[in-house]
Amino acid sequence: MYPFEYRRASTLEQALRMSADLAPAAFLAGGTTLYDLMKLGVERPVTVIDVNRIPELSHLRLSRSALVIGSGVRMSDLADAREVRESFPIIREALLAGATAQIRNMASIGGNLLQRTRCTYFRGTHPCNKRVPGSGCSAREGIDEGQAVLGGSEHCTAVYPGDLATALLALDAAVDVLGPDGARSLALADLHRAPGDRPEQDHTLRPGELITAVRVPATRMRQAYTKLRPRESYSFAWASAAVTLSLHPDTATIEQSRVVLGGLATRPWRVRAVEDWLHGRPLVEAVALEAGRLALRDAEAGRHKAFRIDLGTRAVADALLRAGEQHE
Amino acid sequence: MSDVLRVDAREKVTGKARYGADRTPEGLLHAAFATATIARGRIVEVDTAESEALAGVVSVTTRFGEDELGPPSFVMGGGYGTQSLQPLRGDRIAHRGQPIALVLAENPVVANHAAELITATYEPEAHASHLDADQAETLLQREAIPIPFADDLTFGDAETDMAAAQTVVDATYEHPAQNATPLELLSAVVQWHEDRLLIHEGTQNAGALRNGLARQLNLDPQQIEVRSRYLGGAFGQRNAQHPYLAPLVLAARRAGRPVKLVLTRQQTFHQASFRPQTRHRITLGADATGRMTAAVHEIDQQTSRHDLFPGGYAKVTSRLYGIPSYRSRQRLVRNDIQTPGYVRAPFEQPGVWAFESAVDELAARVGADPVAFRLANDTSHDPVSGLPFSSRHLGECLRRGAQAFGWEQRPLAPGDWTDDEGNRIGWGVAVGAYPANVTPARARVRVEPDGTVLVETDGHEMGQGLTSAVTSLVTRELGIPAEQVRVRLGDTRVGAQPLTAGSWGTASTLPAVQAALEQLKAGESGAEAGNGLPTALADRAANGLVAAAGPVYGEFAAFSFIAHFVEVRLERVTGRIRVPRVLSVADCGRVANRVTAASQVRGGVVWGLGAALREHLVTDPRLGGFLNASLEEYPISVNADICAIDVDFVDRPDPLLNSSGVKGLGEVAMVGVAPAVTNAIWHATGQRLRKLPITIADLPAGGRRPPSGPSTGGSRPTG
Ligand SMILES: Cc1cc2nc3c(=O)[nH]c(=O)nc-3n(C[C@H](O)[C@H](O)[C@H](O)COP(=O)(O)OP(=O)(O)OC[C@H]3O[C@@H](n4cnc5c(N)ncnc54)[C@H](O)[C@@H]3O)c2cc1C
Repeated sequence: MYPFEYRRASTLEQALRMSADLAPAAFLAGGTTLYDLMKLGVERPVTVIDVNRIPELSHLRLSRSALVIGSGVRMSDLADAREVRESFPIIREALLAGATAQIRNMASIGGNLLQRTRCTYFRGTHPCNKRVPGSGCSAREGIDEGQAVLGGSEHCTAVYPGDLATALLALDAAVDVLGPDGARSLALADLHRAPGDRPEQDHTLRPGELITAVRVPATRMRQAYTKLRPRESYSFAWASAAVTLSLHPDTATIEQSRVVLGGLATRPWRVRAVEDWLHGRPLVEAVALEAGRLALRDAEAGRHKAFRIDLGTRAVADALLRAGEQHE
Repeated sequence: MSDVLRVDAREKVTGKARYGADRTPEGLLHAAFATATIARGRIVEVDTAESEALAGVVSVTTRFGEDELGPPSFVMGGGYGTQSLQPLRGDRIAHRGQPIALVLAENPVVANHAAELITATYEPEAHASHLDADQAETLLQREAIPIPFADDLTFGDAETDMAAAQTVVDATYEHPAQNATPLELLSAVVQWHEDRLLIHEGTQNAGALRNGLARQLNLDPQQIEVRSRYLGGAFGQRNAQHPYLAPLVLAARRAGRPVKLVLTRQQTFHQASFRPQTRHRITLGADATGRMTAAVHEIDQQTSRHDLFPGGYAKVTSRLYGIPSYRSRQRLVRNDIQTPGYVRAPFEQPGVWAFESAVDELAARVGADPVAFRLANDTSHDPVSGLPFSSRHLGECLRRGAQAFGWEQRPLAPGDWTDDEGNRIGWGVAVGAYPANVTPARARVRVEPDGTVLVETDGHEMGQGLTSAVTSLVTRELGIPAEQVRVRLGDTRVGAQPLTAGSWGTASTLPAVQAALEQLKAGESGAEAGNGLPTALADRAANGLVAAAGPVYGEFAAFSFIAHFVEVRLERVTGRIRVPRVLSVADCGRVANRVTAASQVRGGVVWGLGAALREHLVTDPRLGGFLNASLEEYPISVNADICAIDVDFVDRPDPLLNSSGVKGLGEVAMVGVAPAVTNAIWHATGQRLRKLPITIADLPAGGRRPPSGPSTGGSRPTG
């Protein structure tokens, strides 16, 4: 691990100032991604700015219109919060499907959204455009069983692996940020970016911008998250799906839905075409499976990853069916 | 027998137990390795400049003299090492991850960073990393290692009997390379006191470390003391001297300070032995009455370019049943890897998985119930030696297990059974066996002035509960409470400490302790005894060499046996594979300690489930090495994967093997779990999947619709 300087910020202003003065700097929340990648030599900040003691970042508020989650709230606390259990079960499901109990106790919501995309070659010492831009992609001709089947480029097919962001996208969440140019809010859909020809850049935040909160609009939609993975904990998804939907009270056909794929694409992947197709259809198994197939229609089978297209189909079908079983 | 709980549990859960790397002697330096980034070739130059310039770095060594660092010797070639390749002694790279430089620094962070800064230029060569690689070289084992131990097993006339068989199954099974992943990283603390050397290392073989170092560094074994009080898991990965140890000792001598090394997890995956990849072709024949008449087991197994790691697959598959004709053919396939080695149930896990899968296929082909088929082919005699088994209660394991599992409810036909929610159900059975070997052991017993009984003995405590088993024995024999018993083992000050492995620990140590206790009871205040093995063996053991007797003894053959029953459920929509329950019934002779014994079996079952459903090392054939070399990516099972595991024992003392009546248990526990799982998956789906691990990716989704029809209601399992 490269040597670095550790600083602790106690206010938002201080955090922003340190970040400007002591670049290249990284904000430190739970450290479960940051330190990991620093030990692997992938991330090499000169300064690490601890934002865990900034009081504004750790609040959780539910109003009529939205749930506002401070970026410093821990995964485990959010999963256990009454507001989440009662009104946003999919958030709880997605959180508990992620990482391990120990990691969830450390990891923050802001850090979670910004966890980096994953690829075994990225974490190793092999050529990787994400780690060393221009060095080539080892996964292209290599073992690609874990690579993205959607949203990749010739430069990179690393997967966005976060469970929470997948669920939050199905809830149409937004992100509040504060930076050198002031505060702004962006749709979660605009936070992550596909690799294109700049695979080293996973997200759209500007240098020095800090996520302060996540806003989730209140909803009465039914919701479910299904994750398929090599083992039932401590494992990223082979494929996952987050679904929110509402059914017509009389005909029980689908009125509105959001379908998001996780662990399959280079960023959280909403499939609007499927949502349109589902409109007005009955929520039966055949429809759910067809929706799954549609969602993965443009997926690339690569060398070893065809099975994940099939698993994606099943994940979508399962999430749709399970969401349908919930009471509104 | 009165059961003593785990005597070291309190030390462990309170953090008092000190493992090898927990030692921090005064003046300690920290070591780290830079490692090769090619899979085969030659080092042209190692650039250490940046590393040496780092504050806190004490030394960087890329090469030791061939005279100061002697050649190592492979434990399976009459030596002491995990392999015969000694890094930092020449310019050859034999596998990715081989050490190319050793850094000593004032703290571990600097040491590791300095190691990362080291780069090298190489002349790479084409390499082989799997059984089918172009550069791989295939050898017939019995010709490559012409000793009886490595020979094929042949009896009867398999070819003729196979030709005459009514029904024949002929299938090929692929078992992946796997890693033992003990939680404790490979590590050591070495310390010179004048010309005496003290090694703290979690090892199953303190004797080999002592003698191996002595040979390599031209020392007298008596100068070297090795202590291995606790191991944080070993499973075969700590069964000999690792290549890091001798360079560490030399570096400590040069620096004049003690040195600690803790390999990273990545390095532990790339420097320690692992379960080699194997391919098994099994041919089985049965006559019209459903009796098996002939079996052929052909094996291809990975080995390294520099060592021949002998496969021993036939030893157990030839003895599972009373099959009159049998032939094995074991081949070794040379790859550019570190030498593979023993991992819990090293040959029995893959070999019996393949064999018991084929047996199940044959049972289905003749239309027999798989339990009845196995019972009908049981035997009381060892078909290899013709001798009776010292004890064999496999039939009882099967009958008792079937009864408790509710086996009679199982539909015979596969692919036909679903629960109310439409999830497929499958039940599978398989058996396992493991040779009952013993190794020489000596024990000293003394009554201290305060009334404490001190037992000093050979053997290593790997978490398997040897200390507890010894304590149990002493409390029972002397009628004193466990608090009055103190056990010292794994320490060359109190014994030669030959290898503890192969499930022979308890069966080897207890008889020695028992014999010493007899003398004590006869009125001595202190006594010493061995376990009665022949002197020639005892001499080998005293010199740190592997010395095991069995499983064929003068008048009998001795094996432990087990039967496993497994239920799988495959979720209807997702295809997710769950194992809601496992029942295992073991015949390990007398149960020395019920608490630790049941725990051994549960651990074996957990590992067997992982071996069947998850674990495999991933190699990119272009690169060599292992891609998933971390706890995060190497998918050992987690709690959430494991449901009910019930354990039962026949618990009848073996009348012939030793005075304590115990046979081994640690390894047999795992044998047969994987085939019980895959047989259950067949029962659920009708599919024979012959490549491990079997994952959700191998199985089509979609059990039956629940009887209630399409779903927008009703309860289904949640994700
Ligand atoms: C073994 C393992 C398994 C895992 N499995 C899963 C899984 O199955 N599913 C899943 O979804 N996740 C998984 N994770 C990822 C885990 O959820 C993330 O590591 C965690 O959520 C990151 O949160 P943190 O607070 O520790 O972030 P940190 O490591 O502190 O930060 C992560 C990144 O975000 C930046 N950052 C942190 N906070 C802010 C902020 N407020 N504003 C701007 N930038 C910020 C940091 O600079 C850094 O770049 C796993 C992680 C590990 C180590």
